[in-house]
Amino acid sequence: MESPLHHFEVHTIIPIHIGGLDLSINNAVVAMWVGLAIVAGSFMLAVSRGVSPIPGKLQSILEISLEFIRSMVYEFIGEDEGKKYVPFIASLFLFILACNLIGLIPGSYTITSQLAVTGAFAVGIFILTLVIGFGKHGMHFLGILVPPGVPKIMIPLMVPIEIISMLARPISLAVRLFANMTAGHTVLAVLFGLAMTGPLWLGWLPFSFTIVINGLEIAIAFIQAYIFTTLTCVYIGDVIKLH
Amino acid sequence: MPQFEQVSVFGSLIFWSVLSFGILFFVLKKFAFPPILEALEMREKKIRTDIEDSERLKNEAQEIKRELEETLKAAHGKAETIVQLAHDESKKAQEKSLQETEAKVRQIQKDAEQEVLNSRNKLLQEVRSYAAALTIASTEKFLKKALGDEDKKKLVEESIEQVVQELEKRQRN
Repeated sequence: MESPLHHFEVHTIIPIHIGGLDLSINNAVVAMWVGLAIVAGSFMLAVSRGVSPIPGKLQSILEISLEFIRSMVYEFIGEDEGKKYVPFIASLFLFILACNLIGLIPGSYTITSQLAVTGAFAVGIFILTLVIGFGKHGMHFLGILVPPGVPKIMIPLMVPIEIISMLARPISLAVRLFANMTAGHTVLAVLFGLAMTGPLWLGWLPFSFTIVINGLEIAIAFIQAYIFTTLTCVYIGDVIKLH
Repeated sequence: MPQFEQVSVFGSLIFWSVLSFGILFFVLKKFAFPPILEALEMREKKIRTDIEDSERLKNEAQEIKRELEETLKAAHGKAETIVQLAHDESKKAQEKSLQETEAKVRQIQKDAEQEVLNSRNKLLQEVRSYAAALTIASTEKFLKKALGDEDKKKLVEESIEQVVQELEKRQRN
């Protein structure tokens, strides 16, 4: 029986090496591109048809997703400040969702099951929050390390705790998405492996489970994209509002 | 786990995913999101305006309804007064007409009675003169010269009186 982790292996398709750096195009990147092409294509198709005041089916779906993200951004960042972050958060949500969903197609690849990728995004968002915080508040931004109402004597203790808490944010953000995607796909692979290797009279049972788990995975793909973007909004909102 | 073992692909994965995200973000922000977000805002604005308009129109309609009800109530009151006045007027006119008719009838009756009385007196006078002439003529035939002028007159008067009494008696009956 093939290892259930086998489908997480990355295979180079077009090798590209620039200055000793491996930038080869592999199956994970291609799968991601297919997902992103669907997202970008849907939006561009809706826009090229002309945005109508009475929306069609495609426009309705895109409007609902944007409205959903916009209300989330307004809730956590505020309407005035949040307006300029809507395109970024919406792109992030659609990117993660597309990567999560495209990975559910058998033979495809979930790039969000790579900790390196989720980590890069989480660290990027962490740096972005620091840039926003220092840009908006200057050195007062360091006040985020001291929660309001803390007695002065507790500050030396609270600051390291807050720093650890801040640093834990990108780690938890990256690990949560990576772990969920990896776990879901591993369970699917194990169940499917059982279905294929077992006798027919028994194999239908794990196979029917794969159908159920697939449905669950679709829900998890949405939920994880939502959690990742919600937490991004919360972090941006925190640095803007400073508690 | 391949995700931790294939370290050599990390650079490629990070590079392409970040670059792809950047391109997606640029394309969507530049071309796709603005018209859709604008349409959303326009619709929100339109819905808000429509709701406000409908609220305002509703209030106006209620105000007009209230005014109409008041006008209708006033018109009802006015109509009732007019009907009452007309009723009173007609009653007065009816009474007046009745009184005039009664007076006229009384006058006609009185005139008729007077005429009847006059005719009766005239008739009686005529009857008296005819009876006198008749009596004289008939008596003269019987008595011829047996009676004098005084007797004749006396007899004539008695005869006339008798005839008149007889006539009055008949008339009473």
